[in-house]
Amino acid sequence: MKNNKKILLEIKDLKTYFFTEEGVVKAVDGVDFKVYEGETLGIVGESGCGKSVTAFSIMRLLDYPGKTIGGEIIFKEKDILKKSETEMRHIRGKEIAMIFQEPMTALNPVLTIGFQISESLRMHFNLNKEEASKKAIKLLTKVGIPVPEQRVNEYPHQLSGGMRQRAMIAMALSCDPNLLIADEPTTALDVTIQAQILELMKSLLRDFNGSLIMITHDLGVIAEIADRIAVMYAGKIVEYADKKTIFKNPSHPYTFGLLTSIPRLDMEMKRLNVIPGIVPNPLHFPEGCKFNTRCKFATEKCREKEPDLTALTEEHLVRCWHVDKVIQEAKKIF
Amino acid sequence: MANMLLEVKNLVKYFPIKKGVFKRTVGWVKAVDDISFEVYEGETVGLVGESGCGKTTTALTILRLEEPTKGQVIFEGRDILKLKKGEMRKERKNMQIIFQDPYSSLNPRMKIKDIIAEGIITHKILTGREKYKRVGELLELVGILPEYMNRFPHEFSGGQRQRIGIARALALEPKIIMCDEAVSALDVSIRSQIINLLKDLQKQFNLTYLFVAHDLSVIKYISDRVVVMYLGKIVEIADKHELFNNTLHPYTQALISAVPVPSLDYKKDRIILKGDVPSPVDPPKGCRFHPRCSRAMKKCSEKEPGLIEVKKGHFVACHPA
Amino acid sequence: MNRILKKLFSNVTSLVGIILLAFFIVIAVFAPVITPPLSDDHYQIPRMSWDVNPQPPGSPMSDNMKQAYEFMEKEVKWKKAICGTAEGGYDIFYGLIWGTRTAFKIGIITVTISMLIGIILGSISAYFGGWIDEVLMRITDIFLSFPFLVAAMVLTTVLGRGLDKVMIALISFGWMGYARLIRGSILSTKEETYVMAAKALGVNDTKIIWKHLLPNTIFPVMVQGSMNIGSMVIMAAALSFLGVGAPVGYADWGQMVSFARNWIIGSPGNAGQYWYAVFYPGIFIVLFVLSWNLIGDTLRDILDPRLRGEL
Repeated sequence: MKNNKKILLEIKDLKTYFFTEEGVVKAVDGVDFKVYEGETLGIVGESGCGKSVTAFSIMRLLDYPGKTIGGEIIFKEKDILKKSETEMRHIRGKEIAMIFQEPMTALNPVLTIGFQISESLRMHFNLNKEEASKKAIKLLTKVGIPVPEQRVNEYPHQLSGGMRQRAMIAMALSCDPNLLIADEPTTALDVTIQAQILELMKSLLRDFNGSLIMITHDLGVIAEIADRIAVMYAGKIVEYADKKTIFKNPSHPYTFGLLTSIPRLDMEMKRLNVIPGIVPNPLHFPEGCKFNTRCKFATEKCREKEPDLTALTEEHLVRCWHVDKVIQEAKKIF
Repeated sequence: MANMLLEVKNLVKYFPIKKGVFKRTVGWVKAVDDISFEVYEGETVGLVGESGCGKTTTALTILRLEEPTKGQVIFEGRDILKLKKGEMRKERKNMQIIFQDPYSSLNPRMKIKDIIAEGIITHKILTGREKYKRVGELLELVGILPEYMNRFPHEFSGGQRQRIGIARALALEPKIIMCDEAVSALDVSIRSQIINLLKDLQKQFNLTYLFVAHDLSVIKYISDRVVVMYLGKIVEIADKHELFNNTLHPYTQALISAVPVPSLDYKKDRIILKGDVPSPVDPPKGCRFHPRCSRAMKKCSEKEPGLIEVKKGHFVACHPA
Repeated sequence: MNRILKKLFSNVTSLVGIILLAFFIVIAVFAPVITPPLSDDHYQIPRMSWDVNPQPPGSPMSDNMKQAYEFMEKEVKWKKAICGTAEGGYDIFYGLIWGTRTAFKIGIITVTISMLIGIILGSISAYFGGWIDEVLMRITDIFLSFPFLVAAMVLTTVLGRGLDKVMIALISFGWMGYARLIRGSILSTKEETYVMAAKALGVNDTKIIWKHLLPNTIFPVMVQGSMNIGSMVIMAAALSFLGVGAPVGYADWGQMVSFARNWIIGSPGNAGQYWYAVFYPGIFIVLFVLSWNLIGDTLRDILDPRLRGEL
C-alpha cells in the first residue's frame, strides 16, 4: 500500500514496565507499529491501555518507576533507545515534538507564550531573542491566533482553551519536527473548538508534510485524521490496519465492541451494544487473552493462551483466536 | 398526552464578581439569563451546549443547589422557589441528581450501604433492617452485587461508582432525575453500560430525565426532545428527529457539523465557527451568537431574538431563521 | 487504619516516639506501685528531710523525717532518695513518677477541650460563612493577638494559683489554631461534590457537618493536637516556673524545675552541685514532649500521601 513511502518511525516489541511497590505494571507489553513519512497513525484505546506510556517511551520522558526494558524505537533508521540523554535532548522538540491534553498544565503559567515558543528555537537553532520572537509571531499567525504581536507577550491564563492548544501546537511545530505526537489534544476542548483544532492540524500536516501520531479514545476524531490505526488494550496492540479496514471490516472483538457501543450521529440505534465488565486493573491482568473476560466470543482457548498478532492481510494485523466470528458479526452491521 | 412535570419560567442565575478591599460587586457572570422550557412526565429532555453555556448551572438552579437570581421553577404545579428551607428539603425526595464525577460524588469515608441509605434515612422511608434490605435491592437493580454493600467507594471502578450514584438517587423514588454529564467522565466502553442502565430504569420506574451533556451523539441517542443552550440562553428547542433533520439555528447547525463521527461514509459540510466561545461575563449585544454567525444580519447585533415557535414543538431564537 | 498502624511501627522515628510514650504510660499507670503515696493527696510529694538545700541522689531519709513518719504512722517504702531531693527535702523521684500522671492530665485535657472549642467554632464559621464567619474569625484574631505566655500569666493571676487555673488559661488561649485549621479544611471540603449530593438528598446542615465534613477534615486537626500535647506540658511548666502554676510540693515537673530555680547555679566553687534538681525533671519534660512530636511527625507524613487520593 505505501511501498513507496519511507518509514520514519518503527517500534519493535516495545516493553515499558512500571516497578511499583504493589507489583510490576506492564503498561506497554510488546508493541510494534510503523509510522510512514507524511502519514498519520492513530492510537486508539481507553484509560490504562498504555497509549500515553507509548508516547512517553518514544520521547524517552519516562519517570521512575517506569522504565523501557525492551524493544527498539527506530527513528530515522537509528534506535533512539540506545541514545544518550544529551543526544535525546537534541531530538526532542527539534525532530520529535509532543503536544498534550491539558494545555493549562503543559504551559508554564509564569512565562509568556512568546517566551515558551521561542525557548525551543533558541535552544535548537541558537537564535537570539529578537529573531526568536519574530519567528514566534509568525508561528502564532500560522496556527490562527489573531493579533499575534500582542498575544506573544501574554500569559497562558489570558488565553482561552482553544488558543492555548493552538499555542502548544505552535510550540511543537516551531522547529519543524519530522514527527509530532499528540496525546489527546482535543479531549479537553469544546466540540466546536475541537473541530477548529482538527482542521488546523490537518492543514498544517499538509503544509509541512510531517508525520503525526494521534492518541485518543475518540473514534470520531480518529476517523477524521488518521491514515492507519492501532487499537490498544491492556498494553498490547489488538488490531492494526488502515482506516478503511478498521471502520468497515473490524476484526477484533474490542474494536467491534467500541464501534458498536458508542452513540453515533450517523446511525439510528435501537439499543447500544455493551462491552460488559470493566477496564482491567494493570496489576491484575487476566490470564490468556487480556480481553477474554469481557469478550462475547471468548472460549476456553482464549482463557488459556494469549494470541499473537497475526496478519490477516499484509497490512491488517489482529490479535484474536476467533477473527472469523467477529468478521461475521461485523458484516451484518457495516 | 403526558402531564407537564416541570416548567422552568424566565430562570435567571447571575454570579457576582467581587473585587477590591470591600468586595464590591463589579460585574456579573450571566450564567443563565432568562430561560424557559417544559419537561413532561416520562420523557428525556436533553440539555446540550458547550462550556459556559449554563446547562449545568440550569440543572443545579432547578434543584436549588444554587439559589436562582430570578424566575420560577414550577414542579407538579408548585413554584418550588417559594418554598421555605424545611419544605424544600422534603420536596427533594421527588427531584434527584446524578453527578458527573464518580470520584468526588461519593463520600470516601462512608460505606456504600450508608451512602445509598442516607436518603432513605433522611426522608424516613424505611427504618431498621428494612432499609438495608432495600439498599441490597437497589444495588441489584443497578448491577452491583449486594454483598459489596459494606465496601468503600475507592474499592470500585468509575463505572461502578456511577452506578452507586444512580442507586442513591433511585432510593428516594424520585419523579425526575437530573443527569449532569452522567457519562462524560467514564471510559468509552463503560458509557454504553450506564446509558443502557438509565434507559432501562426509566422504563421500569416511569422516570423523567433532564440529561445535561455536551456530547451530541449521546444526546441524540438518549433524548426525546432537545434544548440547545448558548451563553446562558436557549437558542433552539425541538424534538429529536426534528432537531437533527431540520436544524434551524446556525449555532445548532455548527454544533452538529462539528461532531466527529466514527465513519468514513459520513459526509458533511463542516461549519467552522470563527473565534472562541465568549465569556458569560460580557455577552455580545443583541443575539449572543451574532459575532460568530455566518448568517448574521444588522438586526442581530441590535435586538435579541426571542424564542419563537416556528413549527409545533420547534422553537428557535434567531432573526434570519 | 491498619495501614496507619503498620507505617507507624515501621518508621524508626515514630518507633522511638512510641517506645518513649509507652515508657511514660507504664510509669503513669503503675505510679502507685512504684512510689506508693503517703498522704491522701497523692500528688503531694513526700519529704525526705527538712533540709533547705537539695540533697544529692542516694541520700537517705533524715532521722528527723523517719521519726516524723513513725509518729504519723505512715510507712515509707523507700529509704533513699534515688534522684535526690529538691529544696525543702521533697523527693525528686516521687515527683517524677507522679508528675507523669500530671503531664498526661495537663496535655490531654487541655488539648481535648481546646480542640473541641476550636472545631465547633471553626466548622460553624466555615460552613455558614457570611457574617457568622466574619464575627467568629475576628474573635479568633483578637485572641491570637495576645502573646500566649503573657495572657496565660494574667489569667492565672486573676484566677489564682493552681494547675486547674493553668489549664483554663492554656485552653482559653489555645483553641484558635484548631479553629483556623478546621475552617480552612472545611472551606475546601464543602465544595466537594459529595457534600452537594448530600444537600440534594435533603440532609440538614448539622448532619452534613457531622457526617460529611468533619470525618473528612478532622484528621489533620488531630495530628496537630497530638503534637500540641507536648507544647501544652511545656507551657504549663513555664507557668509553674514563673510561679503561677502548681502549688509547692505538687508532683508536677514544671513545679519541680521551679523549685530548682535558686539552685541552678550551684554553690560558689561548685557550679553544678545541684544538677539533679534541674536535670531529672528537665529530662522528663524533654523526653515526654519529644515522644509526642515524633509520633505526630510520622502521623503527618502518613497523612500526606493519603491526601493524594489513596485511602
